Amino acid sequence: MPNLIVTTRDGTEREIAAATGLSLMEAIRDAGVDEMLALCGGCCSCATCHVKVDPAFAGLLPPISEDESDLLDSSDHRDEYSRLSCQIPLTSELDGLRVAIAPED
Amino acid sequence: MEAAVRIQEYDDPNYDPFSADDINFGDMLDPYPQIAQWRAQAPVLEGDYRPKMGLQSATYPDRKMFTIVGSDEILTVLTDTDRFSNHGYKFNIGETFGHGSISVMDNPEHGRWRKIFQKIFLPQYVKLWGETIVDPVVHKLMNKFVCMGRADLVEQFTLLYPFEVIYRQLDLPASDVRTFQRLAIGQTDYMHIDKAQEASRKLGEYFTALVEERRRNPGEDLVSLLANTEVDGDYLPPLVLISFLRQLMNAAGDTTYRGTSVLLTALLEHPDQLDAIRTDRKLIPFAIEEALRWDGPVAVQLRMAKQDVVLGGMEIPAGSLLDVVAGAANRDPAIFPDPDRFDIFRERKAHFSFSRGPHICVGQHLARVEMTRALHAVLDNLPNLRFDPDKPRPEIRGTMMRVPRHLHVRFGD
Repeated sequence: MPNLIVTTRDGTEREIAAATGLSLMEAIRDAGVDEMLALCGGCCSCATCHVKVDPAFAGLLPPISEDESDLLDSSDHRDEYSRLSCQIPLTSELDGLRVAIAPED
Repeated sequence: MEAAVRIQEYDDPNYDPFSADDINFGDMLDPYPQIAQWRAQAPVLEGDYRPKMGLQSATYPDRKMFTIVGSDEILTVLTDTDRFSNHGYKFNIGETFGHGSISVMDNPEHGRWRKIFQKIFLPQYVKLWGETIVDPVVHKLMNKFVCMGRADLVEQFTLLYPFEVIYRQLDLPASDVRTFQRLAIGQTDYMHIDKAQEASRKLGEYFTALVEERRRNPGEDLVSLLANTEVDGDYLPPLVLISFLRQLMNAAGDTTYRGTSVLLTALLEHPDQLDAIRTDRKLIPFAIEEALRWDGPVAVQLRMAKQDVVLGGMEIPAGSLLDVVAGAANRDPAIFPDPDRFDIFRERKAHFSFSRGPHICVGQHLARVEMTRALHAVLDNLPNLRFDPDKPRPEIRGTMMRVPRHLHVRFGD
């Protein structure tokens, strides 16, 4: 059961104990973080689950697909730490993962 | 254009596809009090939405139907794809737009084709169309009445501009446009299904020939782009390609016409909010989202239960069709306090007007660009905009789909 540290838009840090088998988006949403809109429900069809991932964990994440990258390009807030959280399956390796919800577009 | 690409009129040239709107989509002035009453009773009701609202039932196969008005249940039906399917649309959209429409598909098949269309309509690309396509269309239309001091903004503007945008995107010959629009609109005349099928067949023949032509002589337009798109070394399947093109007029034209008309009507009814936007154009996105929430063009979406489910306390057998009332969630006081009030300053929360889940509107970013450009043009060119005191006030009507038929305004002086 990986633990996550999520920073919301007002700078508050929240610790979330996530069940494995979920995506990062689902874990954040299910913890009641309503900034996590994820309007398409997690199928890489919108860009409303945009997060910034702590670079210390970058090497543990799956690579960005072309579709994810195109969607991230639609955000004014994309940078090198940007990911769509629906595209990151939570594994035990990601225990302690720190992410921040990206600003709203 | 080669002679091989010919558009065909209806066999009955007197058929008027535009007049069929009321019988298909209803003309109710305000369905929301009834919807609120249902929500107070239960989140899920037995029976379909149309007859509850006094419309003739749609001609679906004999199966149980339910109406979903609870926001949690609406979100569940739209996003839980293990239990709910889009195959209900096979009985209407599929019959006319074609069974290659991504609206009738479920994942993974849906996602395979959606990806291709989604990429074309990403915000970073449609933003460019704002300048190259939308602005010229909007200004051309507005120039026709800008010096007259009065106009019907629906008949002379909102009913025309999203369709003109599509004709330019598709690069259709001007001589085909009138028939093309008649066929496109007739496709959703489900109450005269023979006409809807005739329109579908004739549009299908037209697009098939057009695709062939644009493969021989590709241009910069959307038909050329899609006709020459390859997936795994092959063109898009003809069924998927032609269905998408058939659906485009309805999905991109009709909805944007309705959404823009509602936006302008709501702002004219609230002059203080219109003035606030005049002072600060950064409020435009808030006004657009609020108009879409307050009275979204598409009040009801259709889904099907894949398995026996219990939803909101109701037992729903597998195969049942579900009328998902997006307009109910958009007016839920638990999400949007004082929900019947149009207020561009309300706390921003996501509405349901572009749906949710994997079928979330693929054209939503283009719709926003079009509405934004249209509103800027109104603010730039029509000073002192107000209702025409000599004409009836606009009435937003419709049971399934919402729009005011006229919006008589004065401006200038």
